[in-house]
Amino acid sequence: MDFKPSPERQILFDTLKKYFENEYSLTDRNISAHSDLGYSKKAWEAMRDLGILESLIDPEFDGFGGTALDISTVFEALGRGLVVEPFLEVGILAAKVLSRGNDYQKSLVKKILENDCLPILAHSETDTEYTKSFVETTLSKATDGSYTVSGIKRMVKHAAEATHFLVTCRENGDAFNEEGISIACIPTDRDGIKIDSFATIDGGRVSDLTFTNVNISSEELVGPLGKSYSIVSQAIDTGILAICSEALGIMERIKELTLEYLKTRKQFGVPIGKFQAIQHRMAQLLVEIEQARSSVINATIYFDDEAEREKTISAAKFSIGKIGTLVAEESIQMHGGMGMTWEYDLGHYAKRLVLIDHEFGDEDFHLQKYISL
Amino acid sequence: MDLDFTKEQKNFQIEVRSFLNETLETKVVEKVKNGVPITKEDSERWHKKLNEKGWLAGTWPKQYGGQDWDVVEKFIFEEECGSAGAPRIVPFGVGMLAPVLMKFGSQEQKDYWLPRMLTGEDWWCQGYSEPGSGSDLASLKTSAVREGDFYIVNGQKTWTTFAQHANMIFCLVRTSNEGKPQEGISFILIDMNSPGIEVRPIITLDGSHEVNEIFFSDVKVPAKNLVGEENKGWTYAKYLLTHERTGNANVAVSKRKIQKLKKLADDAKKNEQPLSNDPMFASRLAQIEIDLQNLEITNLRTLAAVEDGEAPGAESSIIKILGSEIEQDIDNLTRKSLGKRAFVNEPDALSSGYNGAEVFPKAAAYASGKYFNHRKKSIYAGSNEIQKNIISKLMLNL
Repeated sequence: MDFKPSPERQILFDTLKKYFENEYSLTDRNISAHSDLGYSKKAWEAMRDLGILESLIDPEFDGFGGTALDISTVFEALGRGLVVEPFLEVGILAAKVLSRGNDYQKSLVKKILENDCLPILAHSETDTEYTKSFVETTLSKATDGSYTVSGIKRMVKHAAEATHFLVTCRENGDAFNEEGISIACIPTDRDGIKIDSFATIDGGRVSDLTFTNVNISSEELVGPLGKSYSIVSQAIDTGILAICSEALGIMERIKELTLEYLKTRKQFGVPIGKFQAIQHRMAQLLVEIEQARSSVINATIYFDDEAEREKTISAAKFSIGKIGTLVAEESIQMHGGMGMTWEYDLGHYAKRLVLIDHEFGDEDFHLQKYISL
Repeated sequence: MDLDFTKEQKNFQIEVRSFLNETLETKVVEKVKNGVPITKEDSERWHKKLNEKGWLAGTWPKQYGGQDWDVVEKFIFEEECGSAGAPRIVPFGVGMLAPVLMKFGSQEQKDYWLPRMLTGEDWWCQGYSEPGSGSDLASLKTSAVREGDFYIVNGQKTWTTFAQHANMIFCLVRTSNEGKPQEGISFILIDMNSPGIEVRPIITLDGSHEVNEIFFSDVKVPAKNLVGEENKGWTYAKYLLTHERTGNANVAVSKRKIQKLKKLADDAKKNEQPLSNDPMFASRLAQIEIDLQNLEITNLRTLAAVEDGEAPGAESSIIKILGSEIEQDIDNLTRKSLGKRAFVNEPDALSSGYNGAEVFPKAAAYASGKYFNHRKKSIYAGSNEIQKNIISKLMLNL
């Protein structure tokens, strides 16, 4: 039995951790995260130079990583840094989808690494429907053999600067049917696309995208017509593993911040960490965080096991959702008024941690899914 | 990262499994699986069989008749026993006193007491808690005063598990009132048949008799029964407690209990459907299953760290909290799943020689009793609040 990361991954993690501590200022991050773009192009460039994207992408596409363990390692580090730049959207979701496409679409994965292309997956349609197969956006065949795409995609993160939208759509079938789902790779300058963008509580911009009779050629479909559910499903499962790992990194950082505060903040003449009421809350958080880590390790181990993947992923997302919210609320409580301020780091970590539960299915959704599997 | 056991460990697992398969008595397994207390004779027969195999004290060094098992082998053995429904090895001698004697006892004490634990000549119990000293153990008052070659012991111990079976007790006693309370405690071995000892049963809320009070009035104890040095007992006691708290994950036992609970829920009806289809029930059950799955990994991570040479520290406190709470959750849901039948309390219905009406489902005979009995799990071996104090001090440095 061995739970230690390989030496290479440990070095990667340590390098990133150090980089975020020294070079990725949370003050600057917060300014760019709540700017019109929602992230910093400068930081994005600098982090790309570190090879973060390569570590998420298979060697087949010029990367040097892409396994479940690589992704988990990198995203835990990204979580510690509270990185808002689009590694999940581009390096995981879009890259996973495009890597299953035709030669041109595969070449876009390499272009991601060359910074020539910023594709974004546009999949989610209703705010409360987390089922991966839920797609109502229509794909209609025209007489000349081309297609049109119509529908609304909601809460698409980092859409503003995208070069391509990867839009799930269907020619037939009910909204929940896994059969019938296609993916269209649409350049964002195509006519008929409207973008309504919003600020977010945890940083980064989200957009509702309206597609009105957007023309595409059959060459622009990713994967087989009507049979691309497994592509988007696997991309999302990988995304879940990534944000669960991100949440772990955030929890570890929150633990550090809170412990530091408990040892320095004095009331009644002693550090507040001397009070048993506080100690037991903090000890409970430590116990829960260890359980959260175990859930992510379990999901990582079984990630390539078709039979076990979905169940362990749902168990992890459930654990992260439940424990993440607890860690966020308890750490704010233990910080007292300080936890309520914009200026102090904690609140920003707490916001991201809570909102991770709203991505790819929340704690209740994944508990139900776990039960059904 | 690698979750697998080594080839040797896997072979050992197979060996344990087949041994249990051949050796365990069906009747005893049924009792264990139904949560019914087993008798002293059941335990003694099981200990004897394990001892013949050399597995009664597998973690002991070979020189004392053990197998030198490491943490993973111990884990494998205990998990296999848990799955199979084997009785738990009564821990007070082989699991608790023995490590203290090996580390702090005299050669004479080791040579005399250790073999007797293996043969079953002695049945040990543990004299720690007192009426006024529970979590604050160091405040204990039972006194031992040296008079020539003897100590004269006066005082009272409580919550003493299986004192009714024991012929020996290891006790923490006060030998000095100087300095801090911890500095006046000694560790001594007392013959339960000595004049002046009285054992009174404490019946727990479920009606069972596991624990006792023990009264000591001018009990004469040979001075050679003192372990280590006088007034150093607290150090030995803490050493013992770290042993007591390992192996509290109980993953295999909890897994077995969940399987049983699932079966109960399949057979029970709610809204004309199997209870297992009820969304509220399914949600409670799934949360426990996920917690247990996470604990399994947490426990393995701790074992891997120990295997790797790290000292087991407050991690055992994490495991103790989680293991006890998850088992309590299962007992709680088992009770709920029985609905009105949970009123029944007929533990004898699970023993041979019961003549009353058949209890159906059988698990109902002692489900509520077990639920109440297992509230002890978050209280004994250092209450879960004490475990959090340990985590705060040793892991969080608060």
